[in-house]
Amino acid sequence: MSDPVLTEEPLQFGEGGRLFGILTLPATPARTAHALPVFVLLSAGALHRVGTFRLHVRLSRQLARMGFSSLRVDLAGIGDSPRRPGLTNQESVTADYKEIVSVLESRLGQLPLVLAGLCSGADNAIKLTPGDPRIVGMVLLDPICFRDDGFKARALVLKYTNPDLYVSWLKRRLKALTTPRRKRKEDDEPLDYLALRNLPTREQVRAAFLSIRERQGRVLSVFTQYALPYYNRAGQLGGVLGLEGYPQFCTEIYWPQAEHTYPLELHRRRLLKEVGNWAGAYLRPRLNPCPPVVRLQTA
Amino acid sequence: MIEAFFFGAGSAQRFATYHPPAAGSGRLLTIICPPLCSEYMRTHLVLRELAIVLSGKGQHVLRFDYRGTGDSFGELAEVGISDWLEDIALAVQEGRELSGCTSVQLLGVRAGALLVCKYAGARDDVQRLVLWDPVPDGAEYLRVLKRVQASIFERNRYLSHRERREAMHEYGGYWLSASMVEGFRSLDASTYSSVPKHKLHVVSTSPAADLPAPGVFQGVAGVAYGWETDLEGPILPQPLLERLTACLTLS
Repeated sequence: MSDPVLTEEPLQFGEGGRLFGILTLPATPARTAHALPVFVLLSAGALHRVGTFRLHVRLSRQLARMGFSSLRVDLAGIGDSPRRPGLTNQESVTADYKEIVSVLESRLGQLPLVLAGLCSGADNAIKLTPGDPRIVGMVLLDPICFRDDGFKARALVLKYTNPDLYVSWLKRRLKALTTPRRKRKEDDEPLDYLALRNLPTREQVRAAFLSIRERQGRVLSVFTQYALPYYNRAGQLGGVLGLEGYPQFCTEIYWPQAEHTYPLELHRRRLLKEVGNWAGAYLRPRLNPCPPVVRLQTA
Repeated sequence: MIEAFFFGAGSAQRFATYHPPAAGSGRLLTIICPPLCSEYMRTHLVLRELAIVLSGKGQHVLRFDYRGTGDSFGELAEVGISDWLEDIALAVQEGRELSGCTSVQLLGVRAGALLVCKYAGARDDVQRLVLWDPVPDGAEYLRVLKRVQASIFERNRYLSHRERREAMHEYGGYWLSASMVEGFRSLDASTYSSVPKHKLHVVSTSPAADLPAPGVFQGVAGVAYGWETDLEGPILPQPLLERLTACLTLS
């Protein structure tokens, strides 16, 4: 731990100290009339608690400077948390979550929670939310979405109006001509990243959002170019879910310039700012917990 | 059971994970000095596995993050090479105090190899240095990061011209301070040759790699990790783990 405004503590918790995480606490809790939620930053894929390009570390410290506590955690089988033998991934995540809640309650008391995660981290947040009334918020980075009626038309427009795509296509053709045939075939094999994810169903996504609405919570969803095969319009998620009052508790950001793992510092800074702005609403009085209007933004 | 903690005083503490020996008296301390930037993420799994294997063979092992990286405090754009050399020195001191060991060996990965050699130099209290895919020198490492940056631009077909311009000064997706860039440029190949040859062991995954210090032991693991082309794919422990373990358990 070291920063004048925050402290950090490595935690080994759960059965046999199996799980590993780092608890970040503000040195001075924010002065609000209501209890602030604790952010749980779920690890994604094979990335450990530090997050993609250190995103979770910076996010947890930024949140602490605003007055929020957080736990960035290695789910079992990732980073410094050994796997749980004999369990499916979903069973393992559910068991992890119980232990995360337990350690947070023992350290901080019973507080509302915000689950945050990228990719499979977002998938896990969506699946866990309906089952725990403590969860009042989700930060979903590239969650799943579902195509709407205009999706294909928009995809065509996007494809044929981007000059960089033509340049890129020409470069690839040129490269293909100068690359031995066999190698070229291997290189060009597209990888279906979505197939690697244990995606939540439409019903699960809907149930998660409904739960948050009932709890008067809030959701931030950010879609990068990774999501273009299924998401290409700001507001698409709200449209396909068709939830009454969606704009009052959800913020949706369509950001095709950014890559899935935010490899550019430029984008990471912007993302941190967006999450910080979104989290800032929790600092306002509970009478007005959500932004009054939805912000559907094309970055 | 590992022991994780922050160490160092002041406003920039470093994060470390200590693996005590699972068996034996543990007379040897291994300090793992990770690589930087995206390579840090890619190697986290294999370096953790390595620490577990070495502790199983009776060694004390300390993994740590340089300031501005991993779980340590600080921002990459605010630290310099001298800070990282100080971090290595402190990690060695911390490891010695925790373990009670006097014999120390260092593993340096990629740019971490350059840093451990700069730190160790002609010091006689470091028994062995194992370098995994060491970068040739600091200037070349900066060129590698710039090539990585170019590959990010090339694959992102939706990046606006304005963003492209703004991100031009990044190195492999990171902001580096001017003093960091200067610091890397000052680390030339003589950094390696300053270490006595008998202490150096190199594990290279590329048979074509130029050895930073000609004549030192080289173990080729026979795999290619695409340091410049793959920013995210985690490096799986096998078969590299065996080679690194062999080097770090030489008697």
